[in-house]
Amino acid sequence: MATDSTGLGDRDSAALSRRSFFGAAAAGVGLAVGAPAFLAACGGGSAAQGGANSGDLSAVLPKYAAGSGGPAPDLPSVTGKATASTDPGFLTYPTDLVKTVPAVPGAGGSYKAITPIWGPLPKPGNSYYQAVNRALGASLTMAPADGNSYAQTVPTLVAGNKLPDWIQIPTWWNANINVGGLAVNRFADLTDHLAGDKIGKYPHLAAIPTGGWQAGAWQNRLYGIPSFTSQANFSAALFYRQDLLAAKGIRPDSVTSADSLLALGKELTSATANVWAFDVLWLSIQQMFKVPPLSTIVSVRDGKAVSGFDSPELEAALAFAYKLAKSGYVHPEALAGNDADGKQRFYSGKVVITSDGTGAWNAQDALAGLAANPKYRRGAFTVFSADGSQPSIALANSATIVSYLNKKLSPAQIDECLAIANYLAAPYGSAEYTLINYGVEGEHWTMEKAGPTRTTQGTKDANQNTYQFLASYRNVVTNPGYDSVTQDAHAWAADAVQHAYKPAFWNLNVNTPAQFSSISTGTQVNDVIKQVTYGKKTVAEFKAAAATWKTSGGQRLVDWYQKEVVDKYGTGQ
Amino acid sequence: MSGGPTARNRRHRLRQDRTLLLMTVPAIALVIAFNYLPMFGAVTAFQYYDYITGFLASPAAGWGNFHQLFADPTFWQALRNTLVLSLVQLVLYFPVPIALALMLNSVLDSRIRSFVQAITYLPHFFGWVIVVALFQQILGGAGVLNHFLRGQGLTPWDIMTDPGTFKYLVAAQAVWKEAGWGIIVFLAAIAAIDTTLYEAAAVDGAGSWRRLWHITLPGMRSVIVLLLVLRLGNALSIGFEQFFIQRFAVGSGSAEVLDTYAYMYGIVANNYGLGAAAGLFKGVVSLLLILAANKLAHALGEDGLYRGTR
Repeated sequence: MATDSTGLGDRDSAALSRRSFFGAAAAGVGLAVGAPAFLAACGGGSAAQGGANSGDLSAVLPKYAAGSGGPAPDLPSVTGKATASTDPGFLTYPTDLVKTVPAVPGAGGSYKAITPIWGPLPKPGNSYYQAVNRALGASLTMAPADGNSYAQTVPTLVAGNKLPDWIQIPTWWNANINVGGLAVNRFADLTDHLAGDKIGKYPHLAAIPTGGWQAGAWQNRLYGIPSFTSQANFSAALFYRQDLLAAKGIRPDSVTSADSLLALGKELTSATANVWAFDVLWLSIQQMFKVPPLSTIVSVRDGKAVSGFDSPELEAALAFAYKLAKSGYVHPEALAGNDADGKQRFYSGKVVITSDGTGAWNAQDALAGLAANPKYRRGAFTVFSADGSQPSIALANSATIVSYLNKKLSPAQIDECLAIANYLAAPYGSAEYTLINYGVEGEHWTMEKAGPTRTTQGTKDANQNTYQFLASYRNVVTNPGYDSVTQDAHAWAADAVQHAYKPAFWNLNVNTPAQFSSISTGTQVNDVIKQVTYGKKTVAEFKAAAATWKTSGGQRLVDWYQKEVVDKYGTGQ
Repeated sequence: MSGGPTARNRRHRLRQDRTLLLMTVPAIALVIAFNYLPMFGAVTAFQYYDYITGFLASPAAGWGNFHQLFADPTFWQALRNTLVLSLVQLVLYFPVPIALALMLNSVLDSRIRSFVQAITYLPHFFGWVIVVALFQQILGGAGVLNHFLRGQGLTPWDIMTDPGTFKYLVAAQAVWKEAGWGIIVFLAAIAAIDTTLYEAAAVDGAGSWRRLWHITLPGMRSVIVLLLVLRLGNALSIGFEQFFIQRFAVGSGSAEVLDTYAYMYGIVANNYGLGAAAGLFKGVVSLLLILAANKLAHALGEDGLYRGTR
């Protein structure tokens, strides 16, 4: 369901699964879902007005200062086009865990934090939470909430006046939850604590690349703290089973266009053997067809704001997705909307090619895949375009995980929370990073040759992103024990950044006025889009829905963008 | 003591039924907390509700949400689907527990009877996710049946993703999941029938079919009519999960019902006013349906939900 305005969400339908994300979340690696967040701005505190950031946020954003204290990466960042650069990769874990935060950050305060979780809930008050809180010098009670229904949980918390002190809201729900309105009305304005040189008090926060902070800026003020900031976020990669293709002697670089992909589908599908070539590939099909990201619904063409649903690229992509759904090469359960078992289908080899967030490439994935098949290895096709021409791939926003503090906190409490955030953002391989990500040595992990390896207790309590969702070091690629995963992911990204481009409104939050609160989610059209990719509705039905969207307020939204965003700031670049 | 005879009478009855009344308190509290209090939320149907500012500060919409609702073809589609699915379930599902109860009743061995009963009950305790997954595993495109068909060189049967036959599929799922549970009430009704009636009929030479027709069924009639009335009143509340889970398998064209519509286009789309309007519409129509069904019950000479004036 088109939970997010991203059009991505269509695939990981709200209620039942968000598996693209799950992989990422599990690993704490780059979040895949690309939702150009809209730095929206509502005029003067009233969500009814709306508006965009002025384009120049230099007075509001923290000053970047590259951090120190972390080890040098084994696979350094590769810089590509459009300022994209890959996340550093690490094949080794330092054995000497350096302390990078000299003082205890907390002042004994008590706070409650809510973050989404995709997986089993850790036990409240477990030994990992206790250890981290001891180190923080504060009682930060984590209350993770089910990620699948998170977009419904947040409005309930707000309406019931039960917002916690600290809350994380993924940017792909910015439109559905109206995060811009929330920021201005309910969240603490951090500008005076962090803008410019003020961030110097928090050196680890200062080391977060500026793009991440942009995801937390609304109405020319800074509200959010980003996690897993990456300068090479892409909404998806087209994955394949390296081991299965190799066994058949198929070279992945033979896939250079939509047609060759379809031909490969025919070759790989053997329904009698219970093997289908594809899962639903919508995320990657959009990239192949160079569809302007649907995350903002409104796009820009030749300097004019246009409905993103009107793009010829989208129509072509949908036509192909529909053709694929009807081809017989897509696993029937995928077409029956069973997203939850997508990974399982891939692990068991019932599906050979799947589209997922880039975060799916991680150690947990390798572990699960190898359990199903000892030869399991995930690969991804290098970026290609549908017609075989020069490929391009849209950058997603630099941060998709952003946390906010409650407006009710006093300035002193905000300072304490920011000091805690600074601790949480300690660099890879530091003592603090290790505690946050793995827990206590001996209790939750032991140092093996490959790096920290979780004990049973650690797997139970310290295996999921909780604190990391409030603030974290910039995204890194690290999979102790699974070097090939790190190498594969890094190599793919090093190629992808060479084709990167910034889509319209990239890293720019736009808060649409209240009158557009529903139309800006594009739910009805996104719903039809998803159904087309499942072969349940036709492209003609999509076009009808897109036309209805335009006449029932969509065109007014486009006009508003033209006047309030494009005319004033261009595409925000 | 003040108060006339009526008041005294009432007080007397209160005292007499005190225990019984106390026993209803938890149920009444539940109904108030979860059914009556939330009704105030219906005010959002007449607002452009903004969850950030709350319903006190949200701008009034008058009938705006209803105009939008009634102008939306997908809403009418959802309403049509709901009615069709309800009707199909009424015809295909409703008689099943009755038939099952009659059959079970004719089984004399009590061990076999409770065994069969236990097995048919069990699916009631499964969530819809599990039920749909089971159907998918057996009947789905990659399921056991189709795997077998393909192995035999036959065309696979795509019942799980066919929008045209979806209504029968969900009725089948409902029968599998709920029919066993549904027989409890009917078995109780049968048990309440005076056994001497059967003996007398048998003495008079009535065979088992005649006894079924003239004693058992008339004895169950009031329960059947009561459940039918409830069923009709709930015609628009056909369920949420079962359809939501399978929505993308067959498409919203056949799987969208009023509840999934309200969720998708109300809650997910951040358009709470529209969702509330859809919910309120459903509530009002359901009330009318239940009153109509009750009237029908009275016309048939039964009590229905409450005793009518005959």
